[in-house]
Amino acid sequence: MTIYESDIPGVGRRFELELTDRKRVIVVYHHDGRCELFRRDGPDDDSKRILDLTSEQASRLGTILEGAYFETVAVDELSVPLGDAIIEWIDVPTDSSLVGTSVGDADIRAQTGVSIVAIQRGTETIPSPGPETTLQAGDILVGIGTREEQAALETLVGE
Amino acid sequence: MAEALLFETGVMFAAVAVVSLVAARFHLSPIPFYILAGIVASEFVAGRLGVGYVSLTSFVEVGAELGIVLLLLFLGLEFNLDRLLADRGRIGTVGLLDLGVNFTLGLGLGYVLFGDAVAAVVVAGIVYISSSAIITKTLLDTGWIANPESGPILGTLVFEDLAIAVYLAIVGAAVLEGGPIGAVAQSVGVAFGFLLALLVFVALGTQALEALLDTTSTEYFLLRALGVIVLIAGAALSLGVSEAVAAFFVGMAFSSTSVAHDLEDVLSPLRDTFAAVFFFWIGLRTDPTVLPAVFDLILLAVVVTLPAKILSGFFSGRQYGLTDRRSLRVGLAMVTRGEFSLIIAATALAGAGGALSGTTAETLYAFTVGYVLVMSILGTTLMQASPVLERSLLART
Repeated sequence: MTIYESDIPGVGRRFELELTDRKRVIVVYHHDGRCELFRRDGPDDDSKRILDLTSEQASRLGTILEGAYFETVAVDELSVPLGDAIIEWIDVPTDSSLVGTSVGDADIRAQTGVSIVAIQRGTETIPSPGPETTLQAGDILVGIGTREEQAALETLVGE
Repeated sequence: MAEALLFETGVMFAAVAVVSLVAARFHLSPIPFYILAGIVASEFVAGRLGVGYVSLTSFVEVGAELGIVLLLLFLGLEFNLDRLLADRGRIGTVGLLDLGVNFTLGLGLGYVLFGDAVAAVVVAGIVYISSSAIITKTLLDTGWIANPESGPILGTLVFEDLAIAVYLAIVGAAVLEGGPIGAVAQSVGVAFGFLLALLVFVALGTQALEALLDTTSTEYFLLRALGVIVLIAGAALSLGVSEAVAAFFVGMAFSSTSVAHDLEDVLSPLRDTFAAVFFFWIGLRTDPTVLPAVFDLILLAVVVTLPAKILSGFFSGRQYGLTDRRSLRVGLAMVTRGEFSLIIAATALAGAGGALSGTTAETLYAFTVGYVLVMSILGTTLMQASPVLERSLLART
């Protein structure tokens, strides 16, 4: 797969990507970040403009194409195997009965079997939260437990 | 006085804004429309009609001067010597083909039209140089930028840009000073001395420029950049060296710094503003009643130079191994003349009375304005009409 690269004076850069023997995709990258995408189906065909993107749209599209775009993956679907136990991230909704109670009072371990190893609060992480830590709406609880235990926690938090 | 001036300036900006709408509506380059707006708003048209007109104040003149400087500065900023050298075989071939055909033809044409060697050289430059600004813009609009024909088109433009810098350096000095051959040689010498100093500056000044522009404030950045650019261009002009060429070299000096792109971002609104003032100013100085007198000159020049540019472009396309259809497009694209032809004519007029007689310079100026109006509209239209032309022209071959 060959990529041809050239300068367009006063505009930006042009990249031409060989898809097959005949087909090419052409990217015109403007200095201001604007990005135009063309396709050309054969050597004698004219290039057709497929997309005309702003800088931000282009970089979003780029990360998706690169496979590095994870924002749409819900946090609670992420899991890491840990023997029988798994780590799960569970959101504390605003209307949860746990909001305002401390970790000690909530007694999550005894009720569900899940150990809370950390609380993610905005950009801040509270590792090994003590029993006095008060849960807030929007917290993300990071807990270790089996699938059943995790399900029990999710029900508790959701109440 | 200031209130009248501000109002006239407002009329000028309003006029270019209105015509840019019209140009956008018809997918044409706004440049000929800026010129037409200037012609209409001038003392020759609006003035004769008895309505208020925009007078040729020193503000407009300095604005136009800044337009020239910024246009050439950007040319220098974007000028990629590495690219030229990397592809020198092909770019050299098509560039020399373009120069050989169109400049030579222009020399002959200029001599026939004006019967004067200096005028012939000026005409040669005017009809030789295509418009980088309009052509690049139209390439983007038509989507040709993504096609193989953009290769020889952009390659030829890069060659022309360099050629015009050298040309302006020589012609600027020769025409601005004028007089006996010894004096001309001396002023050409001064010009090259100054440009040589600028070249040394281009080669060695990178670090100094970067240090100078090392600030997080956009305001200071812009002011310092203008302080360097306008000062050097102004110094050049007062020494009798083309300010346009000086600006081109300053642009080249900046192009190798890390701030080149920031500079483009900060300066492009200024360039767009003053380039519009430049084209408006060109129109403002044009008395349309003079145009009929040069109509036959313009017609002859169009009839001769139009097919020449198309042919040289066509064979440039062939040099790049393109098909007939794509090669024809290269030819059609190169037809457009614009900003550089006008800069040459303005330079010639500024030096009127020296190597060029006043009347010849005036006629040349009117001729160039008419020629550029025709060729810029014709060139963009030809590119847009190219599917039809391709079918009709190439079907016969």
